[in-house]
Amino acid sequence: MKKAGTSLAVIATLIAMGAVVGCGSGGTNNAAGTAGNAANTTAPSTGSQTGVLNVGLQADPSTLDPALSSALVDRQVMANIYDTLFALTPDGKIVPDLVKTYEVSSDGKTYTFHLQTGVKFQDGTTFDAAAVKFNLQRDMAKTSARASELNMIQSVDTPDSNTVVLHLKAPYSPLLGVLTDRAGMMVSPAAVKKYGDDYANHPVGTGPYIFESRVKGDHITVKANPNYWKGAPKIQQVTFKAFSDPNVELTNLENGAIQLSDQVPAQSLSSLQQNANFVVSNTPGLGYQGVYLNTSEAPFNNQYLREAVDAAIDRQTITNVVFKGEASPAWGPFSPKSPVYDAKQDTPPAPNGDEVKKFLKEAGDPNGFTFTLQTANSPVTAEVAQIMQSMLAKYNITMKIQQLEFGTLLSNNTNHAFQASALGWSGRIDPDQNTYQFWHTDGPQNGSNFSDPTVDKLLDEARQVGDMSKRKAIYSQFMDEMHKQDPYIFIYFQNNTYAYSKNLQGFQAYPDGVFRIADMSI
Amino acid sequence: MAYIVKRLLTMIPVLLFLSMMVFSLIHLIPGDPAQIILGQDATPSAVAALRAQMGLNQPLFMQYVQWMGKLLHGNFGTSLIDHEAVMKLIGQRLPVTVELAIGTLIVALLIAFPLGILAAVYRGKWADFVALFTSTIGLAVPPFWIGIIFLLLFTVKVHLFQSSGYVPIWQNPGQNLSTMILPMVATGIREAAVLLRMLRSSLMEVVDQDFVRTARAKGLRGFVVIVGHALPNALIPVVTTAGIQIAGLLGGLVITEQIFSLPGFGQLLVQSVFSRDYTTVQGAAMVAALIVVVVNLIVDLVYGFVDPRIRLTGGRS
Repeated sequence: MKKAGTSLAVIATLIAMGAVVGCGSGGTNNAAGTAGNAANTTAPSTGSQTGVLNVGLQADPSTLDPALSSALVDRQVMANIYDTLFALTPDGKIVPDLVKTYEVSSDGKTYTFHLQTGVKFQDGTTFDAAAVKFNLQRDMAKTSARASELNMIQSVDTPDSNTVVLHLKAPYSPLLGVLTDRAGMMVSPAAVKKYGDDYANHPVGTGPYIFESRVKGDHITVKANPNYWKGAPKIQQVTFKAFSDPNVELTNLENGAIQLSDQVPAQSLSSLQQNANFVVSNTPGLGYQGVYLNTSEAPFNNQYLREAVDAAIDRQTITNVVFKGEASPAWGPFSPKSPVYDAKQDTPPAPNGDEVKKFLKEAGDPNGFTFTLQTANSPVTAEVAQIMQSMLAKYNITMKIQQLEFGTLLSNNTNHAFQASALGWSGRIDPDQNTYQFWHTDGPQNGSNFSDPTVDKLLDEARQVGDMSKRKAIYSQFMDEMHKQDPYIFIYFQNNTYAYSKNLQGFQAYPDGVFRIADMSI
Repeated sequence: MAYIVKRLLTMIPVLLFLSMMVFSLIHLIPGDPAQIILGQDATPSAVAALRAQMGLNQPLFMQYVQWMGKLLHGNFGTSLIDHEAVMKLIGQRLPVTVELAIGTLIVALLIAFPLGILAAVYRGKWADFVALFTSTIGLAVPPFWIGIIFLLLFTVKVHLFQSSGYVPIWQNPGQNLSTMILPMVATGIREAAVLLRMLRSSLMEVVDQDFVRTARAKGLRGFVVIVGHALPNALIPVVTTAGIQIAGLLGGLVITEQIFSLPGFGQLLVQSVFSRDYTTVQGAAMVAALIVVVVNLIVDLVYGFVDPRIRLTGGRS
């Protein structure tokens, strides 16, 4: 009986092991066969010969309608479907694109655009002055996300089918910069009329790639536009795939599922740079990150306390520890790629303990104070907050950290429902777009509720002057004022960090961080 | 039959209550879709205008009544963000998660049954130890970690599977399985651990009962006694657990879906919450609730098959 029991045990164990192994690897053998076949059959098609590119994106684009877009990741797809009136060069210059030539009146209030001729939308309709007017008016509508960028336009005239005249309310030098972005993306009026509210699911532009299909939350596929007015692109099909976890996106790059990735986790940067199969592009972007201080509420209605926080933060340590080369220390809203960047003024000084103590004393809080920082619930923002917390603790400044989901953080910021709010800006090429709306009295993004007549005057002046070197001098005065008043603690400039397979040719980094796939081949 | 009808009728107040909860909770979260669509630099008046356009400026109660009115006609409304029918969005995502959940459960059963039976039969011996050790590991190691390790091992080091590129099973079964097997195993291990423990303890109870001793006394072989006599009597708690598991999996696979880049139902729900896509959140949450209620009903019906002593048709006790 005992013997029978033992042999039964052995048999049963074998069956059990078989079953377990069956699930672990034996069972996967079958599947591995099919998977192996699938991998073998799909590998060449995702690979080099057929001109198919798979791109990893850090989020699923929320919309493909430029009038409604509010995320950078949307532009990664849209920039390939739409052309813009003006374009950005890799070194940050603004050049005409769908506009062939243009003139600006001497008072800076009238812009005349002469359009490219013979350009067609992907649905076959003609791109002309009427289409430009349609687009600008659509973008100027109140419920468009572009409205605030174009609110200086008084009226749009179309004297003939190739000429568009913009009449402005006042001189507005950021206009051309704005038109390199989504406000300059030209959508097909016929498609908008045809699809109405559903247009975003059927985008039509004049660009190098035609929208083909989309599975929400998963991928978007576009194919080459054979009739593209600048010549058909080399890569025949592009699939954009969303990955919500950066490490998963990296894994997909490493195993060849994607050939171009729009992010590299900081801790993997150096190992990827040493991997001969991939190329890493790591260049400064146009955005900045930092902390809004609510100037209309205690404790930060006290200017000295704002200055104390500014003097206590060691930005270099933060960028070294958290970003490992994917960001640089910031002390202003103008990144190294901005036309008005001033290394002296936008690079933070080393933290100064004596100054912190002096400011605390002047504020009337020599023994420190307490405040709460609201920040997004991502690992990176949490790490930055924790480092700041320890830097401030040295001076008895107690910073409590409150992690919030992004929508809530944004809503609290808009409603000034915070003491300190860690929220940055992805950045624009024109310096006005990185400043005016944040620190001008009643600016739409003035979360700090900051209001200062000198700052208002300088910001108004800077957007009216055409010459960039003159504007730079004005922004320099503006920065002096900002460093005195500190409504916002600038912390770092985030780089645009991308990685791609060594088989991908023609990749160029643009300051706006958007891929131009028409330049590339595989 | 009368039982089923009765159960279906009791679903109505449950779902009605849930619809109120879902509706009020999502509207309680700060932030609103108009703000999110228009982005950081929107003016308050533009946000207000878009809210009006979306019908969000009406009293909440009115919005609820309108939504319920449509729901009762089988219309889940249109996504505030995507402008697509919520039903279509759910229809795209639900099959992914259903397949994943079923596969996970199959993996879990394949692991749990042999090990659970062994553990119960050889209680306190090494087979039991192996089973308990396996289940402790399964419970202790989170599926997302197993998932990432699987990705590194089986898609980067050895190119056995695909790490992304899901296609529906009816389009390309090979590629579908190539993207689905790893997540099924990664989550299946944990579910197996739960089932294994349940089966082991339930079997142990049964094995001590008189009828099992009788079966043994009749001279039946040990294996036959366990599988033929003890197991059916030990299945009730296991079926209950598996039912709870499958209901939980349908909404709780978000992280697995993220790691393996599967466009599943969980991701839809989470993304919709982040973008404050009220109609989609409401629709998806109602579907999830419906699934849980229906799965519970099915589990109750399965009891009758597993153990004929439980008769659900009449009022007999």
